[in-house]
Amino acid sequence: MTTLPRLKPEDKCFPNLDGSGDWGIKGYQKRGGYKGLKELLKTPQMQHIEKLKASSLRGRGGAGFPTGMKWSFMPQPKLDEKGKLIPLAKPSYLVCNADEGEPGTCKDRDILRYDPHTLVEGMIVGCYTLNAKVGYIYVRGEYYDESSHLQQAINEAYEAGFLGKNILGTGVDVDIHVHLGAGAYICGEETALLESLEGKKGQPRLKPPFPAGFGLYGCPTTINNVETIAQVPPILKNPTEWFTRWGRPGNSGTKIFSISGSVNKPGNVEAPMSIPLRELIDEYCGGVIGGWDNLQAIIPGGSSTPMLNPEQASRVLMDFDALKAEGTGLGTAAIVVMDKSVDVLRVMTRIAGFYHHESCGQCTPCREGVGWVHRLMERLSQGDGTIDELDQLFALTKKIEGRTICAFADGAMWPTQGTLKHFRHLFEERIKAKQSAA
Amino acid sequence: MTNKRPPVTKTAKADTSKQAPTAPVPAASTPTQAPAPLPAAPEGFFNVFVDGELLHVKKGSTVMQACTQAQKEIPHFCYHERLSIAGNCRMCLVEIEGMPKPIASCHWPIAEGMKIKTDSPLTINARKGTMELLLINHPLDCPICDQGGECTLQDLSVGYGSDRSAFHEFKRAVDDKDIGSKIKTVMTRCIHCTRCIRFATEIAGVEEMGATFRGENMQVGTYVEQAIQSELSGNMIDLCPVGALTSKPYAYTARPWELVRTNSVDILDAVGTPITVDNRHGQVLRTQPQENNAINEEWMTDAARFSYDALNTNRLTAPMIRRGKELQTCSWPEAFSVTKTALENPTAAILGSMASAEDALSFKMFMDTVLTGSAYDCRPAGSHLDQFYTFNTPLVEFENVDAVLLVGCNPRLEAPLLNVRLRRAALKRRVQIGAIGADMDLTYPYQNLGNEPELLESFTRSKFADVLKNAQKPAIIVSASVMTRGDGAAILAQIEKIAKKVGVIKENWNGLNVLAATSGRITALDMQAKAGTPKSDTAAILKSFNNGKTQTLIVYGEDTILPEDIEGQGTLIYIGTHMTATAEKADVILPAAAWSEKSGLYANAEGRVQLAHAAVQPPLNAKEDWKIFRALSEDMGKTLPFNTLSQLRSLIAAKHPAYKAENWNKVTPRETRVAAADVEISARPFQPVVTDYYLRLEYLRQSPTMQKCQSEVAAATLGTTGTPPTPLAPTKAKTSKKAA
Repeated sequence: MTTLPRLKPEDKCFPNLDGSGDWGIKGYQKRGGYKGLKELLKTPQMQHIEKLKASSLRGRGGAGFPTGMKWSFMPQPKLDEKGKLIPLAKPSYLVCNADEGEPGTCKDRDILRYDPHTLVEGMIVGCYTLNAKVGYIYVRGEYYDESSHLQQAINEAYEAGFLGKNILGTGVDVDIHVHLGAGAYICGEETALLESLEGKKGQPRLKPPFPAGFGLYGCPTTINNVETIAQVPPILKNPTEWFTRWGRPGNSGTKIFSISGSVNKPGNVEAPMSIPLRELIDEYCGGVIGGWDNLQAIIPGGSSTPMLNPEQASRVLMDFDALKAEGTGLGTAAIVVMDKSVDVLRVMTRIAGFYHHESCGQCTPCREGVGWVHRLMERLSQGDGTIDELDQLFALTKKIEGRTICAFADGAMWPTQGTLKHFRHLFEERIKAKQSAA
Repeated sequence: MTNKRPPVTKTAKADTSKQAPTAPVPAASTPTQAPAPLPAAPEGFFNVFVDGELLHVKKGSTVMQACTQAQKEIPHFCYHERLSIAGNCRMCLVEIEGMPKPIASCHWPIAEGMKIKTDSPLTINARKGTMELLLINHPLDCPICDQGGECTLQDLSVGYGSDRSAFHEFKRAVDDKDIGSKIKTVMTRCIHCTRCIRFATEIAGVEEMGATFRGENMQVGTYVEQAIQSELSGNMIDLCPVGALTSKPYAYTARPWELVRTNSVDILDAVGTPITVDNRHGQVLRTQPQENNAINEEWMTDAARFSYDALNTNRLTAPMIRRGKELQTCSWPEAFSVTKTALENPTAAILGSMASAEDALSFKMFMDTVLTGSAYDCRPAGSHLDQFYTFNTPLVEFENVDAVLLVGCNPRLEAPLLNVRLRRAALKRRVQIGAIGADMDLTYPYQNLGNEPELLESFTRSKFADVLKNAQKPAIIVSASVMTRGDGAAILAQIEKIAKKVGVIKENWNGLNVLAATSGRITALDMQAKAGTPKSDTAAILKSFNNGKTQTLIVYGEDTILPEDIEGQGTLIYIGTHMTATAEKADVILPAAAWSEKSGLYANAEGRVQLAHAAVQPPLNAKEDWKIFRALSEDMGKTLPFNTLSQLRSLIAAKHPAYKAENWNKVTPRETRVAAADVEISARPFQPVVTDYYLRLEYLRQSPTMQKCQSEVAAATLGTTGTPPTPLAPTKAKTSKKAA
């Protein structure tokens, strides 16, 4: 297999992701930032949206929804018979979801602290494209230092005239506010985020209505991940092929992968989409500790996605469609590698415990069920239980998955289902050992 | 659950993250794949299949409404048609063809060609799964739970629950909260449907309930443990689908299947809420609202719900006469003979505020026939209201009213269920509400225009006059208590002048309303239970008794006068139900029947006459009121012309057409007339109408529960929240400084 070439700085959306350069506005401008912003703010909005559609940029927050399509749902002002703009009835908002809470994921953190201006510029262009005069960035509460970098970047942008009223003389007004969350994972769910931003308890809303029609304060709202928004300006500034030359159709572009666990060089890397998982680990992360044969399992997209076994991991491509075909997902592209020294059941019990702790408690299956699943996992991973209970656990996850208001419960159930699928034999060994000991 | 575990079905397709994809438009406007030859539904409707049956369902309906239309019952806990949709119980999940997951039917909008399956394996399994999860942490304490027998969870678990549990972990236990003496909490039973929270926030307008903590530790309660300050909080008991919130006074009293249910009417304010009275072995054990969209929707005030213990407290159960200094029980003939002697002297009479039409007319006929020429009145001292004491706007019209002026009126405390409608108007339709009167908290924004009566004189030039002028259906609500100021007639005349000027009274619309204190007051005025001359009004009666001109005073019922105002040395005859402060002063006591013990007709503020059935017998020797007057009249040789209730009813019907049986339960506005005023409007500011909601009637003051509730209000006002209500000397009548 031929390996893909490494991305050159000019191919990257986040050239300073490793933090080697200056994260301030000077460094960002040196890397080409804010160049061409004025032209972007003069281009008709629909042109931007069409280009985003053509780039087939998909949401980087986990769901992988095509960003261009999402942005096209927002109301655009229409012209009356005389060709005058009819102003929109309600203000629109762009909200950036920087509530990065998915265990294993740390890409937005590095964007915020090492290249915050990519996000600021993305917010400016995004707000303009979506006719929003105000944008909000909801930053995870634990990211205090990161949010202060972001705030400094915003202040610099205001001073340089890239934010505020009449940006660069184009007549575009954009204000950005940073809001710190209070430590709830569920506030990364877009409607819970809106509730939290409105000052209410962070609990997901019923959909429909969707935020594009009825979002923040009841107004049309688009919510996107940090990485998605930050990738918008480079996509719009460059020819479409600049982005689509990477990856497979429908999964094009570059993507930040957060690799952690049993690898020799963990970290965030920006790499082309559809890169083979094995190549990503071997080329970018110094390989699995103890070699590829020492691999036990890989979580490919944050804790919510079911695990891959070594055989799947050796052939899968890292993109939305390929991972979906393997019964898992790209998620936030947070890759957690586990070698054979890892007690997988303990890891997965801990992950179940995380979801138990983070369930918001609004709707029944998740409130009552996620704790039950965690307790069963705790017990069964110690071999304390019966083989029947493994089936019962699987049936239980099916009573929770797909029955709730938001996708949290789905994400909470998939890892357990994946464990039962790939590592049922471990459970059974421990149960039998315990039984024979007794 | 092992033996009945549903087969694991393929349900959700993998959807890659915790962020659900955002699609733009509600499904209502995206036509799904419809089979080719389906004739278009009528304008404004969608073709929807429910279990294969084709229906035309109104656009904008939810899947649950479509199922209801198809007469398919969808089990649910959190959904309630009068509250916002929460969608959190997940019991109403149904399968829709073409959708990967079952959807919550309570909020999902219908779409053209949608195929709903209410009994498919996926639907049934979803319900069973939800039920299992609801039950794992729900205590199995149905045998000691007051909700038992009328519990939604119990009912639905029969259909969807398992006969054994697969849950072998520890069950959750939650601390109970003390939220006052009306509602008992057993929070371990809570299934977190948030109906109570939504009711408090949306209907009652007190944001005192909420959920704290998250996940399985989520707890419903008042954030700071304190008594809920709402006149409508009892409705949370009805709304709670499980036994988490139950009635505190009713706790451990009875099982629903032991109770005999009787239809009745709430007569403690002028709304006329239809209620049911539940009794066991002749004792009233609870009262609950009935549903009537035109009157109470399905709510009930706390005063009406929790004051029934007054029926069993401090009652007069036998006639009494004063022997020496002491009141002693006696037989009816003994009491009648003393009464007869006393009535030979010049006599006057006062009627209270809880009279039914039967009471009022038999009283009136007794006064007119037996004590011809005697003064009697049914209005509080100072009030000469007799041509205008009702609403011209039906209650249900307040859903369309688009501007409201309150004069001396606090609807939250005088008629809480009217306030529910005004709140909805103010919040949902942004109707402007202005108030002339003392400052108050109505639970919604209103313009306080000041509390000086002079404002009325220049009102037509004020800004708010323009608001009324610009409205299509403006309304003015005047509290009847304004009439007791002495200058009430002048105020009402001025208001009528304003009403005509600003378009509150116009062709096809009359928005001028007077809010009476109770239905009984309206009913008594309908029966014209007053002698009708200025010299015969309550103030004059009291004066002449106190200065000895009249030697005998009949006090029939309470609330029009204060006991301390009776100072005369003559004979006081008390006809009533409770040993009140007035009764303690009496020389003769004739025990009568309370509202639950007699069949009676009552008119509410909109003139709607409703029949309250007798639920139980009057206690011991007490008699129905009309029988007392009928017997006494016979004893005095001038027999009243009726022997039965139906004969009396026909006399009532002849007196007032609204009381004819065919007109019952219909809104029949009275012919309202405003008399010319012979007084000036005084400069005295309007006073708060009701200062102690739970104790504003003598009947309520007899209720131990109401006493506790009022002390909780006092505690909350003083800021000493969370203190337990002070125990009260149980039955001693409290002499309050207030009349209605």
